[in-house]
Amino acid sequence: SLFINPQQKCTVKTIVIASNIQSFCCLFELTEKHLVLLRDGRTLIGFLRSIDQFANLVLQQTVERIHVGKRYGDIPRGIFIVRGENVVLLGEIDLEKESDTSLQQVCIEDILEEQRLQQQSRQEAEKTKHLALKERGLVMPRSDIMDEYGVQHQY
Amino acid sequence: MIPEAEPKHCLWRRGTRSGLLVRLGMRAHRPPLPNDDWQEEHKRLAELEEQKNDGLGSLGLGTLGMGGGNASTVHLPPPASRVPHPSSLPPPHHSLSSMPPPGLEERGGGDLAESLAMLILGADPAIASVGGPAGPDDRSTGLPPPPSIPQQHHNPSQLPPHHQLTPSGLSPGPPHLSLLSYQQHQHLLRRGAAPMQQMNSHNIWENNLGFGPVSITPGLITQMEDSPLMSIIKEVGLPNRPPPMTSEDGRDLSERAPPPRSSSPVIGSPPVRAVPIGTPPKQPMSHAMNHHHHHQQIHHPTAVHVRAPVHHQHRYPPSFPERISPNTLLNIANSPLCRPPFPAGVGPVLSQIQRAQMLNSQVAGFPRGCQGPPLLPGGGGFRPFFGQPPPHRMGPHPGGPPPPNHNHVPCPIIRHNTTHLHPQHRRMLTQRMQSRGGERGGRVGDWRSRDPYSNLMSQREKEWVAKIQMMQLQSTDPYLDDYYYQNYFEKLEKRQERDRDGVRKEHTTKLITPQVAKLEHTYRPVQFAGSLGKLTVSSVNNPRKMIDTVVTSRTDDEEKREKQVWNKRRQILYTVEKMYSLLLEVQDFEKRFMQTPEEQREALLEQHKTHTQQLYSSLKEKEWDDRVSDEQCLLIMSVRKGKRLISRLIPFLPPLQAATIVMGIARNLPALAKKDKQDQVLCWLVEPIAVVISSLSSASLTDLLQELQGSEGQLSRVLQNKFGVTLLYLILSEGERMQSSNPTCQLMDDNRWTELVFSVTRELLNVPSSSLSPPLFTPPNLLSLFSRYVDRQRLELLQEKLQISALSR
Repeated sequence: SLFINPQQKCTVKTIVIASNIQSFCCLFELTEKHLVLLRDGRTLIGFLRSIDQFANLVLQQTVERIHVGKRYGDIPRGIFIVRGENVVLLGEIDLEKESDTSLQQVCIEDILEEQRLQQQSRQEAEKTKHLALKERGLVMPRSDIMDEYGVQHQY
Repeated sequence: MIPEAEPKHCLWRRGTRSGLLVRLGMRAHRPPLPNDDWQEEHKRLAELEEQKNDGLGSLGLGTLGMGGGNASTVHLPPPASRVPHPSSLPPPHHSLSSMPPPGLEERGGGDLAESLAMLILGADPAIASVGGPAGPDDRSTGLPPPPSIPQQHHNPSQLPPHHQLTPSGLSPGPPHLSLLSYQQHQHLLRRGAAPMQQMNSHNIWENNLGFGPVSITPGLITQMEDSPLMSIIKEVGLPNRPPPMTSEDGRDLSERAPPPRSSSPVIGSPPVRAVPIGTPPKQPMSHAMNHHHHHQQIHHPTAVHVRAPVHHQHRYPPSFPERISPNTLLNIANSPLCRPPFPAGVGPVLSQIQRAQMLNSQVAGFPRGCQGPPLLPGGGGFRPFFGQPPPHRMGPHPGGPPPPNHNHVPCPIIRHNTTHLHPQHRRMLTQRMQSRGGERGGRVGDWRSRDPYSNLMSQREKEWVAKIQMMQLQSTDPYLDDYYYQNYFEKLEKRQERDRDGVRKEHTTKLITPQVAKLEHTYRPVQFAGSLGKLTVSSVNNPRKMIDTVVTSRTDDEEKREKQVWNKRRQILYTVEKMYSLLLEVQDFEKRFMQTPEEQREALLEQHKTHTQQLYSSLKEKEWDDRVSDEQCLLIMSVRKGKRLISRLIPFLPPLQAATIVMGIARNLPALAKKDKQDQVLCWLVEPIAVVISSLSSASLTDLLQELQGSEGQLSRVLQNKFGVTLLYLILSEGERMQSSNPTCQLMDDNRWTELVFSVTRELLNVPSSSLSPPLFTPPNLLSLFSRYVDRQRLELLQEKLQISALSR
């Protein structure tokens, strides 16, 4: 499930939804740091070098930012080429506003650990809920074990 | 008339014994020859040839290959590097004749062959025109006339007195060009189109055999001495030459446009431009670059079209205008803007060669004062493997003078095409650019020059991509096109106005999109020839249903009940949706009002009023105008979206109607609160209701309070709900405000208000703290209100309970 940290104050100046129109022209300046949100929930921050009509992106000096709660961690990734269909939104980062954020940066290992814990707890909650519902005769589709074609797997 | 002398090989190729028809016939029955066998074939043919050598007459080529008149017939192929390797040739579909059947060898001399050839050529349009379409294309300009090319083996005197076989009906030139193989062209190139040449015996036979449609080709096939591949190539016939690209020197193959797509209007696929629509714009190469690449131009003289890609796109809509490539639009709309001030612009993806040359030319320096390719001041850590990418390009940042380089030519500011942007946006961009330019002029090793990748996309490309996006906008309503964009800039403007207190106001928002003429394309369904009736072909223009889905409904009783519930809900949602669309129109009324001219404003106003009326009437009671239908209200408010709707609607209603709605809400509050348990969104209503309340008269206020208290026990339930408490507080605070501000207000005229407040306080005191829900906010003047009505003791109790502090918040 897609989760955008609502407290993220890394303010996106102009939000361009994947099927953008004239806001696209805001990208006349292609040398600012950009934030990209992908469909699988990942957040990438990097210098947008190139873009095309499908919103395929070339990002340089990319950093994948993982948010857990109020903390975040960066994983440097290098150069990314993102296929346009996976882009949810793309926006420019206001460098001034980036510095005053309430989020706290931690090192990568910590944040990964936190993320793992978070995922685990979520999964467990989901499982128990599912079980409870099953006992009552309701079967709710579970998003995590359902793949993109709506096929639900039994684990 | 067929000239007397014709070189031997022509005759041989055409063959006395193996005229075209014969050869075709032979080939038809023979199995295709695998590529490896050609050597054996070669040997066999050589033997055969020797046997035949005496009896052959040779023909002079005559006028066919000679003279400037046939400049058109000789064409220069692409550079040698592109000659296909024989193994890459498609397997010969004509079988190479292993040997002409013995019977043929007995055939008579040239007459028979000649007549046969003529017959074939004349009769068979296929052969005659087989290279027809390709032929004219094969001409390239600037071709030197054949005789000027040094001909090593050209030996006119060698024209043997053979009689000719050239049929008079032979149409020389173009049709045969395409029939020439690449290899033959190469020969032409290297050694000139020597029509008359010495051919050794081997070649004769190679030419002869398996050369089907090309058999009649006049002696444009020149030296074949070193053509072991010739037989195979000739066997295959000629591949179609691609339509000649405008010669871009040293062009990078990877940049070449893909071969033309098949566009079959029969099938209904959309037509195709010469350049596929997805192709990014190619940068015109500078003259400077051309010179550098000169050595790469192998054989052609410089037929350089610097702006060739632009030329044939300048024709505005060709026959099928439904797809206009952004290149077209770019070029037409922005022609003056497109050309960079000086042709230093290089395509973004430079080929390795080009980059290498750029690097090389750093030493030489560029002519015309273009900025040289970058010598990064610090060298940097940037060593992209193509060499240093060029931040020297003018493109997007035409600010101050270029980074520290030898050539200092002040760059004019390119005004990109920003007409389609919001003026605010435009201003921001220009500001940004100017500031950047200023910076650049100042500092040497600053961020931009340190960032060699910053201009990977040229300005033109960015515009191109933006244009593609803009092409989707077919409407003239900027709000329809990109609502959030417009709103963002409006908010920005408002903010700036607030900060600056500026007077000037731009009524903006007229989006200027590239006006693509909306042509009515009449769809003509595909028709097949020879079919009975009209067949349905599903294509992109008329999709057809392929699968029949059958809906089976279950008739269970419980299902019915469930369905009813769902139906009702759906009904509610439907109503809400309809109201929403009306509401949106009402909300946008103001903006539209500003944009419409004077005459239409009246009509718009009328429309607006109707909408509002409609909205209200959907809520109110059937007969009574001043009362909101409880049922309806409940229904709508039972849905989350409905609550939102009401909260948005209230500001737009006239005060009286708004008041009635608020009354209705107050009246039904417990029920609403119950339904809201899940959503908890009643609080959305607080703000608009607050506005309404503040405009209420005292009488209505009292009424409202009464409604809120309503029946027995309602108040306690009200108090349990956050929204209820807030509402109550709002009412009370308003009353207090009225009283304190205006001593002569009518609030105290009858006792209702006092009584109501008394009961409220009683209830407040009685209700247990736990069930008292905290409000959204506590108005500050509650304390003074209560102090009027209750004694000190109770006041303190109230204070504590409600956590009303004496200090005003």
